[in-house]
Amino acid sequence: MIQYIVNSLIAASVWTLLGLGFALVLRAGRFFNFAHGIVFTAGAYFAFLFKAWLGFPLAVSLFIAILCSTALGCLMEFFPYRPLRRKGASPLVLLLASLGTYVVLQNMISMVFGDDTKSIRSGPVKEGLNVFGARITPIQILTILVSIVLVVAVAILLKNTKMGKTMRAVASDFKLANVCGLDSDRVILLGFALGSALAGVAGILFALDVDMTPTMGMNALMMGIVAVIIGGVDSIIGIILGALLLGLAQNLGVWYISSQWQDAIAFAILLVFLLFRPQGFMGKRVVKATV
Amino acid sequence: MEYFLHILILIGIYIILSESLNLIAGYTGLLSIAHAAFYGVGAYVAALMALHLHSPFLVNIVCAVILCGLLGALVGIPSLRIRDDYFVIATFAFQVITFSVLNNWVSFTGGPMGLPGIPQPTIFGLKITSHLGFLLLIVILCSLILWISHRIVKSPFGRVLKSIREDEVFTQAVGKNVAAYKVLVFIIGAGMAAVAGVMYAYYISFIDPTSFTVMESIFIISIVIIGGAGNLWGPVVGAVVLVVLPELLRFIGLPSSMAANVRQILYGGLLVAFMMWRPQGFLGKYAFQSGETRE
Repeated sequence: MIQYIVNSLIAASVWTLLGLGFALVLRAGRFFNFAHGIVFTAGAYFAFLFKAWLGFPLAVSLFIAILCSTALGCLMEFFPYRPLRRKGASPLVLLLASLGTYVVLQNMISMVFGDDTKSIRSGPVKEGLNVFGARITPIQILTILVSIVLVVAVAILLKNTKMGKTMRAVASDFKLANVCGLDSDRVILLGFALGSALAGVAGILFALDVDMTPTMGMNALMMGIVAVIIGGVDSIIGIILGALLLGLAQNLGVWYISSQWQDAIAFAILLVFLLFRPQGFMGKRVVKATV
Repeated sequence: MEYFLHILILIGIYIILSESLNLIAGYTGLLSIAHAAFYGVGAYVAALMALHLHSPFLVNIVCAVILCGLLGALVGIPSLRIRDDYFVIATFAFQVITFSVLNNWVSFTGGPMGLPGIPQPTIFGLKITSHLGFLLLIVILCSLILWISHRIVKSPFGRVLKSIREDEVFTQAVGKNVAAYKVLVFIIGAGMAAVAGVMYAYYISFIDPTSFTVMESIFIISIVIIGGAGNLWGPVVGAVVLVVLPELLRFIGLPSSMAANVRQILYGGLLVAFMMWRPQGFLGKYAFQSGETRE
């Protein structure tokens, strides 16, 4: 039982990081960026590239990988999102462009690295520590700690710094923010940078725990999106609660039925929320059908 | 020659798929990435019936269409409450759940091993065995689907669909039951997609869940968008372009191990490029602009 709760916590930490990054981009750019999932994958593969192919030490590779995934996110903002926004593209057009971007980058990763599972773990898999009768590996403890630290940092950044205030201003009304002299393009770029860095970290932590495949990003991103939607886009606490609920539901689901139904459980929860409470349990505004 | 016929049959299947999605996404403006789910359920219904009940082709195709229509109603219902990006996510959820069922309900669907040995179809005592026969059947079904779509979009019903796309509130205000129209168009679109699924199952004679993934759904929506959403001939153009282009790559000596990846890069890249420079596609009438961004 405790093992299931620990597993839920570990899953929830990764989904929170990914969901928070996705929500930052969603709030800044006002569209669903599916290509966020590929930043997650790319973070892990950058780490693999620097560690396994170029022979850098692990810590250095991870650091460079996070920088590279941040750069990748910014690149996407420069092309195709910013030019599209300049043309007055609707959120749906941006969403479709992000799907295309995702498909292109995922296949590039497949072509360069191959479709097989790659690992950045060093040494044999350790048995893990015993905490209240549950097994937990050092990497998993690290995952939980890093995500707590990062989420708190982002929360403080958004709430207390000038940068955070401008980001929230642009998120709530970018036309008004522009009128007030804020450079919304810059702020959106900042959202992409911050969100992509979080996605990169999430991807690396995920890969350190369970290795990587080129297609892992889409599924992981969907879990992040589920956490965001059931928690509410505007609330960091909501996203954390959403991720916890999702992690618990998936892992308790494993207890009752078998593990291959995890995805189905996650998406069934998502559908229930979309139908009955699309703003999530902490959210305020929502794009509802007008009929 | 066989190869050439094979390409034509594939084009036919994708025309059926994308034309049916065109009714939903192009004419009604409900962007759905659940279409591979209908395609898959259609294929599985026909395959299971043919394998276990040994029922004839025509019975199977009718059953598949009806079942998929019901599933379509289910997918259409969220569109009554949520819209745009949120609706896309909802259809995504249906797609993943359907894939999950096909992949994990091993005792019924065969799971990842798929269903081999689907018999060749027999219509009015005529057994279809050759590629040419299949092509003929596909051409007939394709024409039927195009004719039905043509009748739908030219009818008052089709005009209401377009008006929902352009302005939902206004359509409601002039007294149309928008909810019923949305669910109905999903039933029709899903039923048509089932036809493509049935044909695929009989043609390949083996199906497994990997043919009906999210990526396949994205491929189908790419055909609609690149060809031109909201135009009857758009999906036809899109299907020809997106099926033939990757095949051309074979002739320039691309190793087959990379073919699948290059094919996806091609349509992903085209999708981005079209969004950037021609969001309405080759022939399209609709560029997925919602009301507030249009003016």
